[in-house]
Amino acid sequence: MLVPIFTLKLNHKINPRMVTIGKFDGVHPCLTAATQAGKVFIHNPHTRGQRPVAHRLSQSTQDSDISLLNINQAVTCLTAGLLGPNTTGDTLLVGSQTNLLAYDVHDNADIFYREVSDGANAIVLGKLGNIPTPLAIIGGNCALQGFDYEGNDHFWTVTGDNVRSLVLCDFTGDGKNELLVGSEDFDIRVFKEDELVSEMTENETVTSLCHMHGSRFGYALANGTVGVYDRTARYWRIKSKNHAMSIHAFDLNADGVVELITGWSNGKIDARSDRTGEVIFKDNLSASVAGVVEGDYRLDGQQQLICTSVEGEVRGYLPASKDLKGNLMDSSAEQDLIRELSQRRQNLLLELRNYEENAKVCLIKTNSGMGVIPANTQLQTALSVRPASEVQKAHVELSISTPNETIIRAVLIFAEGIFEGESHVVHPSVQNLSGCIRVPITPPKDIPVDLHIKAFVGGKTSTQFHVFEITRQLPRFSMYDITADSSAAPPTGWVTFSINDRPQRVVMWLNQNFLLPEGVDSPDATFNSLRGGGLLSISMASNGQITLRTDDIDLAGDLVQSLATFLAIEDLSAEADFPRYFEELRTTLTEVDEFHSVHQKLTAAMADHSNYIRNMLVQAEDARLMGDITTMKKRYRELYDLNRDLINEYKIRSNNHNALLVCLKSVNQAIQRAGRLRVGKPKNQVISACRDAIKSNNVNALFRIMRAGTAPSRG
Amino acid sequence: MEIHLNRVDYMQVGVTSQKTMRLLPALGKKATQKVAIADHDGILTCFGMKKGEAVPVFKTLPGQKITRMDLGGAVGTPQEKIFICSGSQVRGFTKKGKQFLTFEANLTETINAMHVSGADLFVCASYIYNHYCDCKDQDYYLSGDKINDITCLSSENLTRPAPVLACQDRVLRVLQGSELAYDIEVPGPPSVLELYSKEGGEEILYGTTDGKMGLVQVGERSAATKWEIDNDKKRGGILCIDTYDIIGDGVNDILVGRDDGTVEVYGFDSNNEPTLRFEHVLSESVTSIQGGCVGKETYDEVLTATYTGWVTGLTTEPQKAEAGPGDEVRMSKETQSKVEALRAELEQLQLKVLQGREQYQQISQSSTAVSAVPVFSINDKFTLCQDDASYSLTLEVQTAIDNLLLQSDVPIDLLDVDKNSAVVSFSECDSEQPNGNFLLATYRCQANTTRLELKVRSIEGQYGTLQAYVTPRLQPKTCQVRQYQIKPLSLHQRTHSIDQDRPMNRLSLVGQFSFAEIHAWVVFCLPEVPEKTPAGESITFYFHNTFLGTQLEATYCKGEGHFRSDNISTISILSDVLSKEATKKKINLNISYDINDDSVSHTLKMIHPKLEYQLLLARKVQLIDALKELQVHEGNADFLIPEYRKILDESANLLEEYKKQPAHLERLYGMITDLFIDKFKFKGQNVKTKVSSLLEILDNYDLNSLLDFFNEA
Repeated sequence: MLVPIFTLKLNHKINPRMVTIGKFDGVHPCLTAATQAGKVFIHNPHTRGQRPVAHRLSQSTQDSDISLLNINQAVTCLTAGLLGPNTTGDTLLVGSQTNLLAYDVHDNADIFYREVSDGANAIVLGKLGNIPTPLAIIGGNCALQGFDYEGNDHFWTVTGDNVRSLVLCDFTGDGKNELLVGSEDFDIRVFKEDELVSEMTENETVTSLCHMHGSRFGYALANGTVGVYDRTARYWRIKSKNHAMSIHAFDLNADGVVELITGWSNGKIDARSDRTGEVIFKDNLSASVAGVVEGDYRLDGQQQLICTSVEGEVRGYLPASKDLKGNLMDSSAEQDLIRELSQRRQNLLLELRNYEENAKVCLIKTNSGMGVIPANTQLQTALSVRPASEVQKAHVELSISTPNETIIRAVLIFAEGIFEGESHVVHPSVQNLSGCIRVPITPPKDIPVDLHIKAFVGGKTSTQFHVFEITRQLPRFSMYDITADSSAAPPTGWVTFSINDRPQRVVMWLNQNFLLPEGVDSPDATFNSLRGGGLLSISMASNGQITLRTDDIDLAGDLVQSLATFLAIEDLSAEADFPRYFEELRTTLTEVDEFHSVHQKLTAAMADHSNYIRNMLVQAEDARLMGDITTMKKRYRELYDLNRDLINEYKIRSNNHNALLVCLKSVNQAIQRAGRLRVGKPKNQVISACRDAIKSNNVNALFRIMRAGTAPSRG
Repeated sequence: MEIHLNRVDYMQVGVTSQKTMRLLPALGKKATQKVAIADHDGILTCFGMKKGEAVPVFKTLPGQKITRMDLGGAVGTPQEKIFICSGSQVRGFTKKGKQFLTFEANLTETINAMHVSGADLFVCASYIYNHYCDCKDQDYYLSGDKINDITCLSSENLTRPAPVLACQDRVLRVLQGSELAYDIEVPGPPSVLELYSKEGGEEILYGTTDGKMGLVQVGERSAATKWEIDNDKKRGGILCIDTYDIIGDGVNDILVGRDDGTVEVYGFDSNNEPTLRFEHVLSESVTSIQGGCVGKETYDEVLTATYTGWVTGLTTEPQKAEAGPGDEVRMSKETQSKVEALRAELEQLQLKVLQGREQYQQISQSSTAVSAVPVFSINDKFTLCQDDASYSLTLEVQTAIDNLLLQSDVPIDLLDVDKNSAVVSFSECDSEQPNGNFLLATYRCQANTTRLELKVRSIEGQYGTLQAYVTPRLQPKTCQVRQYQIKPLSLHQRTHSIDQDRPMNRLSLVGQFSFAEIHAWVVFCLPEVPEKTPAGESITFYFHNTFLGTQLEATYCKGEGHFRSDNISTISILSDVLSKEATKKKINLNISYDINDDSVSHTLKMIHPKLEYQLLLARKVQLIDALKELQVHEGNADFLIPEYRKILDESANLLEEYKKQPAHLERLYGMITDLFIDKFKFKGQNVKTKVSSLLEILDNYDLNSLLDFFNEA
């Protein structure tokens, strides 16, 4: 049984996921974590009583090993590592909703302090692609930005939604690091510098990523899933009712291969084999885990796994010694083996008994409470598109029926990403039992989904039912109803591109990705979007030019990406126009300007007010010392009013800031959307050209790029 | 005094009932003992351990499910005859497996408790007790509530053997012949009885379904409680008890097995107080427990049998070092041969199962054949927990559970249970007709989960059914539904007596109904009432509300019923439900009320300390984070006023307390609102419009202003 080699109580709360270890003087590793009140604490037990106190750093009065760093803003992420070329030790990087601070703890000085308007939700430090210097890469609202040690941004790109997790690893195996980005739209994206190389769709917000070895990496989702990918293939995953707070790769059983260490919200820590997900070790902290890191904390040349809880508990584990033989748990392997084998034997015996009893019943045909059904009962399932009616919204209908007098007591559908939880249940009341159940399904996003259906089939009065398990796939674009004629106004938005493929291939794509009752045989089709997005029409000219008409730029992007994947197109440029969307974007851009100017005005007003306060306070205290109580009261009353004004202004400022963030996010999303209408190189060109246009504040050029797909020639 | 016990699995039989495993007496000193165990397949197995392997002594043929086992023998000889009961039959076997007795008890119900002592045989079916001597009928008794267990005391101090029944209505009934001598009140429904000393004596140990335990000394006319152990740690209900000196200090220790898999050993300290000495958690209900020596000579152990039929020992024998000099984990020869044998057996079984599957597939082609899978057994328990006024539902199946669907037609809250590792998912439900679902939730279980524990919170006055569909991981896949009634007064619990001094409201019913009819209505309304109509002309039951502490007295007979409670809402719910039930049966009821206005303020005063405590707790918890931040900011907490410093010091406890009672305040608010509405309902006023002002008062709670509001409105 593996036991912790050290346990500490730090008496400071630790914000989840904001824990790191840095060797700030180049030698001694220090546990560094964000705590309450906009502070970061640095735990340095190695050099007691020889630290100067100045600038941001102050000694904690509760614990002499801890220094506190005042950030004065809610910390959102932090990391430590080598950033600059000539520093003695690691640089501490602290991100907040508006700023990024690079700080030299050893010299007690700021290296740079940059405003980042998109916020910093996640941070990673390291080398990316061919960029020569290490970068501090932050992920914010739909944007990624990388800074070097001087605070210059060498890397910028956009992604589909708010970034929640980042990791650098050599995904493609070319010897250079790629950036893996997990975001709130459930995707893990892989960037080779600013080129998107891969995209894996998960079914919840990706909260953590960690590099295991080679091209293998671990991930954690907001719904309690953790797992391991090797490139784009998922090796294994497990789901718990608790949330994975932090994941880390560490070789705990000393077999030369790292395990995935997960810290859970209930305080549990487990180590799982990277190949199978089998638990090889577990332990419990008393409170939710805040972060899992590694470092040589005892300075004895061995790396320890260090787990921290939100209440400030820290435990360190050494990799298992050889004589534990990889058996880290407190149970005997042989007992477990025997138990497992016996369990399997028991299961087989029970199954066998089921068949025997079944055969007996077949012979004598008595009817007891077993829920007897005809042996040839088979469930029929059908998927169809149902347009909106008076009583029901538009939906995809899954109908399940039995061929005989048996009834379906309940239907459980397990599917990812289309229900609120992971399952949907239909349970008719006793009066409404029948052999047919219709389940309305409304997938919120255009993703292909496997529906794992479990239907309980039996008689009306049975207490035991047969469980039929069926899996059906819902195609990606299932919420589109093919319509023959249309009185609705044709869509104004369109995107057009050329492909070198036969129309039959496009027809195949249509049949595979849409729910079509009879199938189609020409690549021209018109659909009605059940989500209320109006019409969608697809047409293909004889020269291979495809035009998609819809007002929904997201849908257009999804269709282009899906078609390109199906036809294995690597690079695809396109022309497009979405007048309505572009108009909205134009308004947003003007709003951004307005919010910026309001922001400046408010900041100036705040500075004025703080001057007043200073004066007023001096005057009030003067009056008190002079014994002039009336004036003092007056001054303090004024001070109180001023304070109230300041609070109000703060509220306005924060509202303004939030509105600004929303706008900036939608601008970033617009760039991402324009990119998604193209594939490969043209896509990256569009994104970087858009970025340049926004930097130079050239709105017209921005729209030209979005339409034409290339930067207009400068001149 | 710490003891360390190591777990060893011996063998697995079928599903077992409570108290169906016994150790046969040892032949000589320090020899290993044989184990007799009986299961639901009707098989009685007797085995001994030889070199780590289970060697069967005998095994009977399958038959009806065996519900109890006891050992007996002529007085003065070793008690090594095995008695088992199945259905209404009792059979006796010698230790060699020879059947020497078949006795038909001629009961209509199945026997669920049995005790053998010399030539005396005591059996109990749900309400009936029978005593036979040399298989001849002696005494008979009809109990007021279900009998869970029986034992019989004989001692020099007693003039004749005294049978003791453990009855569901929280009493131990001591009999004298066919008559009740007296009853002993115990703190919970007793589930198991055991003689404290195997040689006799007047002391018996009892365990309750809510996890409490006690020792009583039974006398001729009365009994005295020696000690009681509360269930502070919220462990499961007790299923089996044995006494054995496992610690080795010369005093018999108490071995306890619970339905949540906990095995405990209690020793006695110098003051002769029982103290917990050892605890181990198995993953499933412990149905039988024995102390003795099975695995290896001279090593004492605690032997347990679990629901799914595992016989497991917790032995004092130290575990051998596992790792040998080589790289591989070395297995002992015994284990190796065991594993090989198991693997070979598995292979054969696999083949057979494949054949079975094929045949099953073939049947599905035929249009006349039917498919019927035998009913698998589920061990379930749905009980009200007194301390947090919520129901706990435990389900246990002999193989791993795949998933569980919970459906309810009444609004209930599902609470998270730490022990439960299954992934829960709530499905959208249509509470409107036609389907009327208020809760649809699925639990997807982790591998090897055979036992699930859930917690459900109900609201009094809203009644219906909770259904659980259990699907085990077993081919062909089937699921079984279990139903649990959420009764109108679901938070009430039976009690032995009530405080008669409280101001009470009365509800009286008069009408043309039989005793059985009104009893059925009471069963419908209140938990823990025996389904069987009580003997006699009339009956009185006492209840208390586990959440508020208010009380209810129900007295009824043919044509008449009186219900008294200090809580006006209880009376209101009863009157609504009873009149509805009577209307269903087309019986005219004459309902009259006697409302005591003082009762409302009395109830409010009863709620007051709870409410005040909760409000204070909520306020303190709210402050904790801010105070901690101040503390970090200023470096210490010395500048804070003592009250705040105290909050900081106690923060961990406060948070834990707060976490333990989720939505407690909301529940109290809901009950006060009900009280308010019900008070004026009886005055013929509808005050629903004033509820918002009531909630305002509750937000700035003060007992006097609340009392005033109740009086004024």
